[in-house]
Amino acid sequence: MASERTLFIINVSLGLLSVLLLAMLLGMELPTLGQAQYALDKEEPVCMIEWSGNSTAFDDIDRCCLQAREQLECQAESKDALDWVCGTGAGLRIWLNDKAYNYCKQQPYW
Amino acid sequence: MKQKKRRKISLQKKVFFILMILVLFLSLLNIAKAKGLLIPKQEPVDVKNKVVDLHKLTLEQKIAQMVVVVGITENYWPWKNMQLGGIHLFSRHNENIFNNTIIDFQYQMAIPFFVTSDLEGCVSPFRFIREFTPASEVDTINKAFEKGVEEGQFLHRLGFNLNFAPVVDLKDDIWKCRSFPGDEIKISELAQAYLTGLQTQGVLGTAKHYPGKTLIVKDPHKYIVAAEIGKKDVYPYKYLEEKGEVKAIMVSHIIASGQINSEGVPSVVSKTVLDDLRVNFNGLIVSDEIHMLGLQDFYGSLDEMYIAVFKAGNDVVLNFDKDPNEIYHMIQAVTAAVERGEIPEAQIDASVTRILKAKGFTVK
Repeated sequence: MASERTLFIINVSLGLLSVLLLAMLLGMELPTLGQAQYALDKEEPVCMIEWSGNSTAFDDIDRCCLQAREQLECQAESKDALDWVCGTGAGLRIWLNDKAYNYCKQQPYW
Repeated sequence: MKQKKRRKISLQKKVFFILMILVLFLSLLNIAKAKGLLIPKQEPVDVKNKVVDLHKLTLEQKIAQMVVVVGITENYWPWKNMQLGGIHLFSRHNENIFNNTIIDFQYQMAIPFFVTSDLEGCVSPFRFIREFTPASEVDTINKAFEKGVEEGQFLHRLGFNLNFAPVVDLKDDIWKCRSFPGDEIKISELAQAYLTGLQTQGVLGTAKHYPGKTLIVKDPHKYIVAAEIGKKDVYPYKYLEEKGEVKAIMVSHIIASGQINSEGVPSVVSKTVLDDLRVNFNGLIVSDEIHMLGLQDFYGSLDEMYIAVFKAGNDVVLNFDKDPNEIYHMIQAVTAAVERGEIPEAQIDASVTRILKAKGFTVK
């Protein structure tokens, strides 16, 4: 069996874990990695819509995120200063830079 | 000395077991909460011969009918237990997944869900299954009607009953494929033909995004969008209202000025805008999805925003938050607002009546 000191350390850890679990149960939200990445990234969010080979900037980032989410999945793919593409094949594709993608990931529907 | 040490270890052991049980218990509670299993189940709704007695519905049940959420299978039980008004489905890999998801959700629901999609043509959650003609390539009444029939048949077969299309914005500078071609008169006629075709297949259509100019907006703020609305922008809505074919209109978050004035707030929470729309339209007023900073930034808290969206007069509120506790919380917040008299219950009743009628029920 573990020594008294080991048990004490385990118990303190379990106590802290209990407090954390209780706080979560009561609605406390922990910051996520995505939020941290978004906050640290000083770039402007960029969303581009690609249709029939033409790309157009879309400034309404919230609507862009929602449309991107409807496309099932986004994949990491680099093109100019953009880092993510949502959509497949020759149809409509939505391009996002990291800043926009991290913003989208924070949305409650993502 | 040895005995004292043994007693101390024995105490540590007891504390260890108690804490282990506590951690286990709290973990299970957290999992149950995350899955929405702590949300109380609503009383069953008494529906006979497709007749719903509005007075037998609780206020919570009525407000829940006004909410459309994202139809993820992880939330199967909470969405059904809350008896929500509808589920919106994002993209899936094949028809069977769509079909089975819808069958599972609709199973044993006294009042079935609205099952909604964003099938416009180029914007489509069905890209893995088949391609549809973009609205921008539909330039005759016949083609628009055929597009409506084709999309309606497809949606109906999968189990959808409400489509958030057609787009009747006059210009589409960004996507270049979502609006019909032509001027406001041509676009209105094409939208009318599309709606007729779609609705002959048992799928309701939604003209969007009122009051217009959502697809050309460029704004340096990125999250707040504003536009000057002209007579031409609202012409398609007036045309469709007069024809009586449009069953739902979606209102956007745009801050409108000019012909339609939202008085500095997003249109979707502007009572002036919605009241004005309601004058000649008795169909469903559908809010755009509410998690947009352009809307949220106007309020100090989510609760205030929730109440404002309902208070403005939206019949159907799109809240795609995946957290069932948040959806339940919204229903509670709006229920409390109605009980406080902040939102008239008659307004909620009128919305629910419109929803139930659109679902094919008689309301008494």
